[in-house]
Amino acid sequence: MAAARALAAAGRRNLVVVSFLGSLDVELLLAAGCVRTLHSAGVALDGAGLAPRYRVGRQERTIEFVEWSEGTLLCALQATARGVPSLPTWTALDTDLPAVNANVREAADPFTGERVMQIRALALDVAILHVPAVDSRGNAYVEGDFAVDGALARAAGRVYVSHEQTVADDPRRAVLSRLWVDGLVPAPAGAWPTGCHPHYPADLEVVSRWAAEGASAGAELLTEAAR
Amino acid sequence: MTPHPGDLLTAALAREIADSGISVYAVTSPASVAAALAARALGASDLALATGFTALDAEPVPSVTLGEAGLFTSGAALVDDPFDTFALLARGRVGVAVAPAQIDAAGRTNLSGVGPPGRPKVALPGARGLPDNNASPSRVWYLLPAHSPRQLVERVDVVCGAVPPARATRRLLTPAGCFELCSSGWQAVWLTPDGEDLVAGAPGLGIGLSGSEPVVTAPDAAALAAVEQVDPHGVRLIEFSAGADAAARYQAAAAREASR
Repeated sequence: MAAARALAAAGRRNLVVVSFLGSLDVELLLAAGCVRTLHSAGVALDGAGLAPRYRVGRQERTIEFVEWSEGTLLCALQATARGVPSLPTWTALDTDLPAVNANVREAADPFTGERVMQIRALALDVAILHVPAVDSRGNAYVEGDFAVDGALARAAGRVYVSHEQTVADDPRRAVLSRLWVDGLVPAPAGAWPTGCHPHYPADLEVVSRWAAEGASAGAELLTEAAR
Repeated sequence: MTPHPGDLLTAALAREIADSGISVYAVTSPASVAAALAARALGASDLALATGFTALDAEPVPSVTLGEAGLFTSGAALVDDPFDTFALLARGRVGVAVAPAQIDAAGRTNLSGVGPPGRPKVALPGARGLPDNNASPSRVWYLLPAHSPRQLVERVDVVCGAVPPARATRRLLTPAGCFELCSSGWQAVWLTPDGEDLVAGAPGLGIGLSGSEPVVTAPDAAALAAVEQVDPHGVRLIEFSAGADAAARYQAAAAREASR
């Protein structure tokens, strides 16, 4: 969220945003008019409901939305990480994904002839991750789920990691090696109003307000000043 | 007293999970978490809980919560490769309960939008994992708070999840009962007392009733007790509520979490 706030404050426009599963971060960028194209498997506010700016953007087609499934998007990131133009997967056959995403195409396996979905590599210029902690050397630490952030880092040309705090070096516990990290940005409460375990939970009151008002409310509801 | 559908269906899902033989359960909504935790107490004590893409055997187990942060675990990070999730799915070892916006007579699912693909009249969250789950031999439950003709349709508007593989088990839990997708279409496993009328009100799904289906009038007592043990405040009921009731339940749960 801290990076999304900074992009919004800087007035960036025409961004191509890749959000594996988006939330208020995508909503903020949409509200601030930063987004030209959005790649995602889904955007929602979990228990608080649907994401209003995302809905309007898709319904009124004010953004180009490239829809993925979780499995196909992960496959596209891994193709980039492996340095190949595409990878096959068993998921998404007989769905409408190829109709809405030109990076997903049915093909025949060259060895068996079996039907597969061939997924084009998706390369990111920059990955921006937020983690609970880093060490002095730039290794990143997360308790619990690291989601697909590791795959995003390996598919990106540069990786910037914002973090809640700096901790003692213990590289064996790191979820992301410093070898993948190009820059560190201290950002206490940087995930607010989403949560950053174990430092703070999601601010459900703000999430709820955004769900109710987001289509009409301005991006200022999610700025640091509103906290 | 008529049981709350949230209690009936969460308890039913808990029993289904416990009896399914799966290795890993991917937690999603509050009711889904409650059912998985209860399943552990109902005999599936070794069931691993996946609280994301890399925390595939979460320990300690997550709590039933509104916010995603509550699904995360304490302690050292689990650094499984996110592809493990899909490898386990492909081997049929995973179970997951999802709530598509539309399910059709052939078992296709939709969470992308209402209207043609790419041109939604009503945009919904997006395909998420439906294309991946439905194509897999793993166990999928569809858990819906209403047996609505808007959701249970002859053909989905957008195919997110394709027709499941022939031998994959797909069950639908709604206030009408429990239904399984067979080669001939959806068949009732059991019905609630209102089930027959609800099924008749959503004809698109093509559920065939023989008239001899068992009727379940109360939740599985042991399963419900296990559910209440792990979700004493009834967070699970939010997803079975609507309008002001849902908003009030959400606010109460949010206030409780803020004070933790």
